[in-house]
Amino acid sequence: MSSPALQSRTRVTRIAQEAVDRARLTVVPRVRTRAPRVPFVTLVSLVLVGGIVGLLLFNTSMQQASFTASSLETQADTLAAREQTLRLELDELRDPQRVALQAQQMGMVIPSAPVFLDLASGTTSGVRTPATRENAIQLQPPAPIKPANLAPAPVVVEVPAAPEATAATTPAAPAAPTTKPRKNRNR
Amino acid sequence: MLRLRIGFVLIAMVLSFFGARLVQLQGVDPQSYAAMAAAEGAARVTLVAERGDILDRNGVPLADSIKGKMVIADPALTADRAPELARLLSERLSVDYFKALTALQGRTEGSRYEFVARRVPSTLATDTLAAVQEAGFEGVFLQDDPIRAYPAGDVAANLLGYMGTDEPLGGFERTFDEQLAGVDGEATWQSNSGKGVRIPLRESTLEAARNGEPLRTTIDRDLQWFTQKVLAQTVQQYRAESGAAVVMDTRTGEVLALADVPTFDANAPTEAQSTDDLGSRAMSNTYEPGSVAKVLTAAALIDADKAFPRQRFRVPPNLARQDRVIGDWFDHGNIRLTLAGIIAKSSNIGTVLAADAFTPVQLVDYLNRFGLGRRTDIGVRGETPGILTPGEAMTSQTKDRVAFGQSLSVNVVQMAAAVNTIANDGVRVSPSVISGTAVTDDGVTVGTDVATRERVVSKQAARGTAKMMEKVVDPEDGVAPRAQVPGYLVAGKTGTAQRVDGDCGCYDGSTSVSFGGFAPADDARFTVYVVVHAPKVDGGGGSVAGPVFSRIMGYVLGRYGVEPTGGTPSRLPVEW
Repeated sequence: MSSPALQSRTRVTRIAQEAVDRARLTVVPRVRTRAPRVPFVTLVSLVLVGGIVGLLLFNTSMQQASFTASSLETQADTLAAREQTLRLELDELRDPQRVALQAQQMGMVIPSAPVFLDLASGTTSGVRTPATRENAIQLQPPAPIKPANLAPAPVVVEVPAAPEATAATTPAAPAAPTTKPRKNRNR
Repeated sequence: MLRLRIGFVLIAMVLSFFGARLVQLQGVDPQSYAAMAAAEGAARVTLVAERGDILDRNGVPLADSIKGKMVIADPALTADRAPELARLLSERLSVDYFKALTALQGRTEGSRYEFVARRVPSTLATDTLAAVQEAGFEGVFLQDDPIRAYPAGDVAANLLGYMGTDEPLGGFERTFDEQLAGVDGEATWQSNSGKGVRIPLRESTLEAARNGEPLRTTIDRDLQWFTQKVLAQTVQQYRAESGAAVVMDTRTGEVLALADVPTFDANAPTEAQSTDDLGSRAMSNTYEPGSVAKVLTAAALIDADKAFPRQRFRVPPNLARQDRVIGDWFDHGNIRLTLAGIIAKSSNIGTVLAADAFTPVQLVDYLNRFGLGRRTDIGVRGETPGILTPGEAMTSQTKDRVAFGQSLSVNVVQMAAAVNTIANDGVRVSPSVISGTAVTDDGVTVGTDVATRERVVSKQAARGTAKMMEKVVDPEDGVAPRAQVPGYLVAGKTGTAQRVDGDCGCYDGSTSVSFGGFAPADDARFTVYVVVHAPKVDGGGGSVAGPVFSRIMGYVLGRYGVEPTGGTPSRLPVEW
């Protein structure tokens, strides 16, 4: 930096020795161009504020998403459970026992041997056996036999044949229930 | 100046306090504070693995897992208004009011965790919880508690087994538990306390649950149901002790149905009549097969060229052998029967005479190859290998009895597989009840993929035996016309065996009546074997088990669309 300045000085000295001697030269102060500060500060502030607000918004939206996620998860769980429950109900409806009970109530009977119908020739193969009520299989086990003390033997009261006259005067009604053997005996 | 100094001193003091606190937090015990921070609002949830379904051959669930909840009460919060809450819960969850009340009041002093109900369907549980909260109650919580459901109740229950409160207690559920159970997972995350909402960007871990693998069986649910119903009806009608029936696919050895009577409802195993009903009697009980085993003897004799179906025998009224006299089930004088007639009329004496061509070793060797005396290893718990005396140790008297099916014992699937060997042209296919493969808790791999085939008797011997077995259901010559399936050629054999009383080790006078056979006889597709133990009403294999066989066989042929073959019936003579 100093060497070109030195050269110029010597050159100046050489060119105008007198002037140099007469007037001492001073360095001209550099003119500082002052950039306006306001836009910069504003920009920085804006970036800062924007960042913070953005972060805040981002955070809020993440929280919001988290709430949504967990509520959706709950919903998914509920729906999955519902689906499973429905599937179970469907399986229970398909229970062969239930289907058979309904079919038997409608008068349907499982045949003892199959017969095949050939659609192309319109012929059947196999022996046609009637499916009768006897072919129906017993779907429900019979009621268990009750122990003796729960199913007491019917009380049979022998009523001597009353003469016509007394029968007319005394009402026979009260005696009737005791003489009737119990019909709903459990066997 | 003084004010400035005082200010500096104050600031220095405050900063040194901060510094000291910093050293304490970071230097002395950093972990415990970190742990405390993590624990604050940390949520940890066990992700319950879903138990694998048990499916039938068509993928219909025999055992199904569904999401469920347990309802838990904190008595510290519920005790005050327990009666009201108990009423609400008992109405909604159909639990006993008094049980709910005790749970809500706390069974022990200071209890904070009481079960109100377990295995409540998820939807019902959440609805109930919502109702409880709406009514202003506190202290009721839900936790995951999967439900095991058996949609068809008692269908195949003896094979499936059942679940206890937390663990499987029998059947496939227990045998294949490792495959079915799966592995529970775990999730942790930071949440805002109590609400269960995750705080985003905070530490969270997720180890997903590994659900159990489904187990596919070869059972056909509808057929299994039908088999159970028909068998149960017969067992009840003849006031028998128990019964079992097997339906087997002749070519693949797949067991399509394996019914046990009495059985139980897998959804309510505690309501079973007896704990013996919970397992599979068909597999765990041995019995003497009786005359059905005659067809094995006959097939072996024909295979060894020691007999042929038309071979003529003079059958005396009774046969004196060393230790006792062998008789037949029917009284007769000297009759002349062919080997076919011996099978058709089920003559013990005739069978013994025919089997005289065999040494004990030869007979036992054949029976061994038919699968008697060793486990079938199909994957059913507690299977018995049966009893078959080794040929070297067998006396000739024992051999005589073994020839017609006494003095040896079997389980039901063993016997069905042996009869199936004749149906399958002499090749024994090892039976299987699991589709694909599965590993039992004993480490045995079972299933259709590991089924083996082994030739036991020649095709000619098997066909010849089948022709003789056709005579058994012949209305004129045979003993079991009621085992006939209209339209089809049926081959079968009756059995009426004396039963051994385990206590005295002697025959107790009761019988095991059975019928084993296959159809269509000339191109067998299915083998059905039925046994009814200790019927109290008189009857033999033909009259008791025969109709059951006929009914099941008729159903399975129709169900699988097997048309009658139209083959010519057996014309073997029974007498000469």
